[in-house]
Amino acid sequence: MRPAVAVFAVAVLAQWLVPLVGVLQHERVIARGVAVRIPCAAPDPYDPLRGRYLAVRPAETGAPAPDGMPDRAAAPVWATLVVGDDGLARIDSLTLERVSGPTAIRLVARPSAPSNGVRTVILEWPLDRFYLNERLATDADTLLAERLAAGTLPVAEIRLLDGRAVLTDLLLDGTSVRELVRRRRE
Amino acid sequence: MSFLHQRWLAEQLPAWEREGLVTADAARLLRARYSVEQRAGLAQLVVGAIGGLLIGTGLIAVLAYNWDDFPRWTRLLFALGPLAASQAWSWLVLQKGEGAKPWLREAAAVVQTLAAGAAMALVSQIYNLPGSWTDLLFWWCVVAVPLAWVLRSHAVAIAYLVGIMVWAIAQAENRVSPFSAAAAADLRLWQPLLLAAILPLWPGADLRDRPPPGSRLVLAISALVGLLAVAAQVAFRPYDPHAPFFWLVMLTTVVVMLFPLDRAGIAEPLARKPHVPLGGFTLMGMALVATYEDPARTLVEGVGPALGLGWCWLLLAVGAGFAALAFRQGRFAVLAVAGLALVPLVAYPLTPADAGGWPVAITYSLVLLATAITLIGLEFTGRQGAARIGATLIAILVILRMADADVSLLVKGIVFIVIGSGFLGFNALISRHRAAVSGGVTA
Repeated sequence: MRPAVAVFAVAVLAQWLVPLVGVLQHERVIARGVAVRIPCAAPDPYDPLRGRYLAVRPAETGAPAPDGMPDRAAAPVWATLVVGDDGLARIDSLTLERVSGPTAIRLVARPSAPSNGVRTVILEWPLDRFYLNERLATDADTLLAERLAAGTLPVAEIRLLDGRAVLTDLLLDGTSVRELVRRRRE
Repeated sequence: MSFLHQRWLAEQLPAWEREGLVTADAARLLRARYSVEQRAGLAQLVVGAIGGLLIGTGLIAVLAYNWDDFPRWTRLLFALGPLAASQAWSWLVLQKGEGAKPWLREAAAVVQTLAAGAAMALVSQIYNLPGSWTDLLFWWCVVAVPLAWVLRSHAVAIAYLVGIMVWAIAQAENRVSPFSAAAAADLRLWQPLLLAAILPLWPGADLRDRPPPGSRLVLAISALVGLLAVAAQVAFRPYDPHAPFFWLVMLTTVVVMLFPLDRAGIAEPLARKPHVPLGGFTLMGMALVATYEDPARTLVEGVGPALGLGWCWLLLAVGAGFAALAFRQGRFAVLAVAGLALVPLVAYPLTPADAGGWPVAITYSLVLLATAITLIGLEFTGRQGAARIGATLIAILVILRMADADVSLLVKGIVFIVIGSGFLGFNALISRHRAAVSGGVTA
C-alpha cells in the first residue's frame, strides 16, 4: 500500500470516528439513561459552526465545597440528583469521588468566595445550549422572554447514564419549547 | 544571482532556445543551476479551492439551519452522507496519482475537509453538546491535516494553519479567564505538535517541497501568533505586575526571525521569507516602545519571573542555536536585530529593584541606533544588509526623541525638514548603490 493511501485511510477513519464516537456515546445515554428535569435560568446566541441555540443555565450554580476540594484549582465533582415533589431534580450531595447511581452526574467545580464562613464552589454543568431550527429560534427567544417575565422558568430535560448527560429537550410549563413555538406559528 | 534574476532567466530561456542563442543542453544546465519554483496553474488552484470552499461552506450553512422536523438518524445521514461522498471523490482523485490535476486535488481536499467539519458540527448540534466552537475547531484541524499531506492541498494547509492559530488564541484566553482556566489546553505541548503536523507537506518526505509565497506568510503568521499565545499562557500570573510576557514576546520573535534558511532562502528577497520581516519588525517595534521609561522598566522587571519558566529557557536555547547557525551563514543583519532582545537580559542584573526605567530606555535608544548603523554598514560593505530599514529606524528614533524633547516648534520643524531631506537623499544614494552592485539583496 502506498504511504499516501495509508494516510488517507487513517484520515477517513478519523473523520468517521470523531462524529461516530459522539453519536454512540450520546445515543447510549438517550436510550438507556434516566430522564430528569432541571430548573434553569435561560437569549438567542449564535454559534458560527452549529447555528442558533438557546443558552441553558441550570439554576443551581453554587453549593458548599465538597470535602477535599482544592483551594484554587477547578476539579471534577460528582453530584447525585434527587427528584422533588414538583418533579424537578436538584443536587442532593456533592463529592470528589466518583459515585454510581441512576441520577449521578459529573460536573466541574470551581472554588468561590466563602459564604458565612462556609467554603463554596461554582458549578459548571455539562449542558449550556439547546440548538434550534433557524426559522424557530427568533420566536423561541421571544416566547422565552415573555414566559420569563411572567415568572416561568425553563426546565431542561436530560438523560443521565454513568454520570454522562444529554440534553434532550427544553420545556416551558411542561411543554417542549419547539412544540410551543410551532403552535404559536400556526 | 538573486531570485528575481533567476526568475527572469527562467522566463527568457525558452525564447533563447528558439532563437538558437543557447543549446537545449545549455538551457537544461542553466535551469538546473538557477532553478525557480513552478508557479504555473496558480489561478487553477485558487479556482479549485474556491469551488470546494463554496460547496463545503454551503453544506455547513444548510446543516446549521437545523432540520429538526426530521428524526435524529435522518439528520445524521444528512451529515455523514456528504462526508462519505466527499471521501469517495478524494479516493478517486488519489488513485490518479501524479496524473491528478492540482486544482482537482485542491477542490476534493477542501470539500472533504468541510464535509468532515459539517459532520462533527451536526453531531454536536443534534446532541446539544456544550463547549466552545473552538473545541470543535481543534478536532476539525486534526482530522483534516492529513488531506493536506496526501492531496498536497495548499488550501487545506492554509485553513489548518489559520485554525490552529485561532485555537491557540482561544486557549490563551481560556487560561486568563477565571471561568475557563481549567478548560485551557497546555499550549507548551500542543502548539509545537500542531505546527509540526504541517511538516509532511512542507518540506515533505524528500525535504524539497517549499511553501508557495502566500502560504509562507500564513505559516509565519500562524507560527508567530501561536507561539505568542504560548507565551501569554505560560506568563499569565493574576494580579502580578511583573509580567514576564513582554520579554517572552521578544524571545519568541527572535526564534521565528532566526528560523534557519538554506542558501537559496537566504538569497531571496524579504517578501519571500516573511518570518524575517514579521519577527524583525515586531522586535524593532517593541524596542522602540522600550525607549520610554515605563515600558522599559516593565520589560526589565519581567526578566526575573521569565527566567523561572522552563519555556523561557527553551526559547533561549533554541534562539541561541538558531543564532549560531545564522552566524555561520553570515546573516549578520538579522543577528543585529535579534540582539535587541538581549538588552533586558543584560540590564536585569545591573538594575536595582527600585530604579527607574530611564537607564534602560536610553540604552535601548543607543542599541537601536547601533543596530540601524549596522544594517546600513553591512549593505555598503558588500554583505547582506538592510540599508533602507536602517535609515527608517534612525528617522523614527530621531522623530520620537524630538517629539518629546522640550524644544521650540521652530527647532522641531527644522530638524524634521533636515531628517526628511536626508532620508530622501539617502534613498537615492541606496538606489544608485544597488544599481551599481548588481545582485544585491536584503537580509
